[in-house]
Amino acid sequence: MAMTIAQRILARASGRDSVEPGEVIWATPDLVTTPEVSFPTYVKRLREHGIERFALPRRVVVAIDHEVPVHSKQGAERNRETRRLAAETGVGHLFDGEGITHPLVVERGLVRPGSFAAGADTHTPSLGGVGALAVPFGFELTMILATGRIWVKVPETVRVEISGRLAPGVTARDLVLAVMGRVDAELANYRVVEFGGPGLAHLSVPERMTLCGLCIDMGAKSAVAEVDRHCLDFLAEVGIEDAEPLAAEPGCAYAARIEIDAGSLSPQVSVPPSPTHVRTVEALADTEIQHAYIGSCASGTLAELSAAADLLEGRQVHPGVQLLVIPATRRIYQQAMEQGVLARLTRAGATISPPTCGPCFGGLAQLAPDEARISTSTRNDPGRMGARDARIYLGSALTVAASALAGRIADPRALLLERSEP
Amino acid sequence: MTESYRGRCWRFGDDLASDELIPPQHVFEYDPKILRRHLLAEVRPELSQQAQPGDMIVAGRNFAAGSNHSHPFLAMREMGLGLICASLSRGPFRLAVFMGIPLLVAGSEVVAALGDGDSLEVDFAAGRIADETTGQEHRVEPLSPFLLDIVSQGGGLAYARSLVEAGEIAHAES
Repeated sequence: MAMTIAQRILARASGRDSVEPGEVIWATPDLVTTPEVSFPTYVKRLREHGIERFALPRRVVVAIDHEVPVHSKQGAERNRETRRLAAETGVGHLFDGEGITHPLVVERGLVRPGSFAAGADTHTPSLGGVGALAVPFGFELTMILATGRIWVKVPETVRVEISGRLAPGVTARDLVLAVMGRVDAELANYRVVEFGGPGLAHLSVPERMTLCGLCIDMGAKSAVAEVDRHCLDFLAEVGIEDAEPLAAEPGCAYAARIEIDAGSLSPQVSVPPSPTHVRTVEALADTEIQHAYIGSCASGTLAELSAAADLLEGRQVHPGVQLLVIPATRRIYQQAMEQGVLARLTRAGATISPPTCGPCFGGLAQLAPDEARISTSTRNDPGRMGARDARIYLGSALTVAASALAGRIADPRALLLERSEP
Repeated sequence: MTESYRGRCWRFGDDLASDELIPPQHVFEYDPKILRRHLLAEVRPELSQQAQPGDMIVAGRNFAAGSNHSHPFLAMREMGLGLICASLSRGPFRLAVFMGIPLLVAGSEVVAALGDGDSLEVDFAAGRIADETTGQEHRVEPLSPFLLDIVSQGGGLAYARSLVEAGEIAHAES
């Protein structure tokens, strides 16, 4: 039987020629990632159960990324424990404040097309942007650390065929929100989303990571993009020169097939209480906001920061709005600094913070009751960024930047049009 | 024994998010004795005080959606609660099993028939839910023997230890 990308990866990771959807298999991850939020607790719980050693420690990446710089006594102790336990357990890499795990392992060349990656963090599937099947296992990572293996039910796949090219002012975020409008939680559940089609060629690897990372928020197990020439060029730049293209086998079976014309899309915004509640930006034009945030594993990329800086150039953030910008990794931070992107953002009124997950889960820049924020982060559940009745809207960096200028949710295309006119 | 539970039905609706079960500001907290105080604290404040071991959280579709956090299940385990829901996605399903929470995925029709405060007797291995308040008995798909085995051993960590002791671990190092 012909296999989807996910099946191909799981077959290899379980030492089999082929696997069928629905089968329960034992698979061995090639890469195992955990942030400091979880790592010391995992080691402690394993030791409480008499498990002292990791089966495959060199495959483990630990990243201090959720609270950077540390701003609590508990956090300081947690980081000290993380550093000590990373050394004791002999993990392959400890990244200490160098950025958010998912973009970090990609920019450091630690994940390859066809890799089976297991992560503690919810948004691990963003590694699908380079053709890896990356699955969040949360606390189950303890079993992987202990045994090197995990039970996996082989998932069915939903194919998303992308055609066309995004119009100016429309981004990968808008594309994935459009996909959410077509794939509900029932269809996504226990399934992998596979991105392909002629439109994929127009999307950069960081954009593909945005697509894959946000699929978890529609309820999918994971997501993966086809690996094409463009992806291989990107990988060569991060030191992986022997990767090969990866696609589903012709004639494989899909649970559903969705076709999206990227050229037909407009800016979209997720409204409370969940990312799948998607509206067009026009429908929210009167929505006031007091906070705006550009960052997170999904959007803290150099391209998104640059696009926001271009839009904000020569303009000032609305006096009633706090705009916070956080590059996703130290390398992006440095590039954005060297290219003057951070200077332009700051000039427009933005506050820049060092790479961290911070605001995405309410660990930094919390919201007071009744406040509203538009954000490029991943989720908008009630209470996620502080007060339970604060409202969180999710959109692209361009939509966030346009909204920060207006003090209410705004369509970036109008500003881009203004700029392009002489 | 985790195969059957008897207790009160704590009824919730559809799309009860993980972040509502335990607000994510407590993501750094892993002590079950502290986490139990936060379980549904903003949605149903009396639950953490009044729930007894053997009680069931009974929820609608898409239970514990969103953040893939073990925290709600650590709290439920500490409190001895079981779970019946209409549906839940893969993340919370796996976590519930791994944390040793017995559960049944019962579908919307069965869940709709269970009222808040009803007295329930639940057999997870058989997939049987007896509602003593209404006198109705419901049959649903039971938890598979493989998964019930993990739950019965107290969850994935105890199960992992048995694998380690049996030498059933991956050895190939890259």
